[in-house]
Amino acid sequence: MFSNVQLHLAKVFLKIFLRDRQSIFFSLFFPIIFMTVFSFASGGGQDPINVGIVNNSTSPVATDFTQLLIDNPIFNVTVGEESRLREELVEGDQTMVLILPESFDEQSDGVELKLLVDAAQVQQLGLIMPALEQTLISMEREFRNIEPMFTLAIEDVQARSQRYLDFLLPGLVAFTLMQLSIAGSGFNIVEYRRKGILKRLFVTPIQPRDFIASIVMARMTIILIQLSVLIAFAVLILDVSIVGNFASFYFIVILGTFIFLCLGFCLGSIAKTQQAVIAVGNLVIFPQIFLSGVFYPIESMPEWIQPIAFVLPLSFISTGMREIANNGASLLTIAPSLIGITVWLVLSFILATRLFVWKEVAN
Amino acid sequence: MPIIDVENLSKKYPLPDDKSKSFFAVDGISLKIEKGEIFGILGPNGAGKTTTLEMLEGLVDIDGGTAYIDGIDVNANPYAVKKIIGVQLQANEYFDSSSLDELLTLFGALYECDIDVSDLLNKVDLLEKANAKPSQLSGGQKQRFSIACALVNDPKVLFLDEPTTGLDPQAKRNLWDLVLELNKAGKTIVLTTHNMEESESLCQRIAIMDHGKIVAEGTPQNLILKHAPEPPVAPIHGNIEDVFLTLTGHALRD
Repeated sequence: MFSNVQLHLAKVFLKIFLRDRQSIFFSLFFPIIFMTVFSFASGGGQDPINVGIVNNSTSPVATDFTQLLIDNPIFNVTVGEESRLREELVEGDQTMVLILPESFDEQSDGVELKLLVDAAQVQQLGLIMPALEQTLISMEREFRNIEPMFTLAIEDVQARSQRYLDFLLPGLVAFTLMQLSIAGSGFNIVEYRRKGILKRLFVTPIQPRDFIASIVMARMTIILIQLSVLIAFAVLILDVSIVGNFASFYFIVILGTFIFLCLGFCLGSIAKTQQAVIAVGNLVIFPQIFLSGVFYPIESMPEWIQPIAFVLPLSFISTGMREIANNGASLLTIAPSLIGITVWLVLSFILATRLFVWKEVAN
Repeated sequence: MPIIDVENLSKKYPLPDDKSKSFFAVDGISLKIEKGEIFGILGPNGAGKTTTLEMLEGLVDIDGGTAYIDGIDVNANPYAVKKIIGVQLQANEYFDSSSLDELLTLFGALYECDIDVSDLLNKVDLLEKANAKPSQLSGGQKQRFSIACALVNDPKVLFLDEPTTGLDPQAKRNLWDLVLELNKAGKTIVLTTHNMEESESLCQRIAIMDHGKIVAEGTPQNLILKHAPEPPVAPIHGNIEDVFLTLTGHALRD
């Protein structure tokens, strides 16, 4: 598949690229920090909600009710005087204050419980109200001796717990490989042009396709090393699980890197200056960050945009990788993604070799 | 048969101020350069020297006329020509973080030939700099390294584009010695310059270009006899460069 010239050149370029250790190291900084932050953010679960209770009733019902709320892990209950709790509410120490009226006892019928809230915390109320109402209903049932008509038993059929981080890893790997690849070919090409290196290479008898193939191979080797560090960090340190076959996962990584290195070559051939290539590069990178299901599933996007989102190269790559990593899919079961990837692979390589014309690119 | 045979060569470029109009950067020049010659192309900036070289090197398209190097049509077969020529460009930047021996290895790979890195560096007197980076070299060393890169494929013809521009007199003379040495070893050398002394002491034949045309061609001696005005009555003894070199010595400074 690759000629001797290409392999030899790739080896020489690899050695040259490896000299640039700083940028190899620093380009891994962002994804690693990003993942670490997320692992801490999603690790702790929901904080309990601060609720103040003013109990003006002396009935045992009111005491039981208060106790039920105290026992509920969703709430962090403070029982106290109305005036003091009101103050705390204003200062933000309490999310809300529930006032039980004097008439709250076994006989009470449609008695009104007053809930003081701070409107600024309104987004939390949606979460609190159902829990509060649920507690009230179950209490009512108990006191009135009504059997519930039904209960809801939730069973997780996926039988393994999936954290957001598990969902995130394949997407983040896909995103990182896109960034590294486009920078590794596209941005570098423009830099070489500016320095006149391309011109110097052009007076040697090297063919564009040999040049592209060797640069792609050398860059790909470096990117695979970088991604391996990232994946190892995620799996070993952050305990992210990759359910499927590692080899299949890497297979998609390699194809994806190839696609974006070729697309990077296209960008480097079109854009003539460093500013231009960054601008055009962002045009390619940014929509894919948001539309390719890297950070959240494509299915959660507006319906009209989904058809576009689905055919982006990064979508096929991140979907394929996620199927393997999260659901243990085999290469056979992700055939649709693989077909999409193959189409982009061929397309991007043809485009790269067509657009990279020495005379135009070097001068 | 001349090793370089150029007939009526021309190159059109759009005008910088008015893209719809074009001008001839090289306007129908003809040249015959014999094997083993050092041939100089002289001229002021913008005369078309570099464009002429770039057409011969296959870097830019030939808009009119023909060019043959060692019997190969440059226009029809640029890749075959590139295999037998060595080129030093005006800009000589390389991959920043690579050492000289790595870069020479790269050029060897580009030409698909086995090279002896030490031998090449030795030829240009840079053997002890094998592990240095291009950015650590002085101006003269950089030019010599560029020539080493141009020698990787043991070319028949060596093109040097303003090889001594920006060098101090010591480095300049050192580079002339190198060029003469390579010429003695059998290389045909074509160089551009706007240094009159260089053309006079180094080149066997020269062509003077202006506005894309060759205005005079011949051996330096003949051109002087034909075109130079009468010498002043009392010729000055030596020139200021002789003074400079006498005072600062001939030893190379880099």
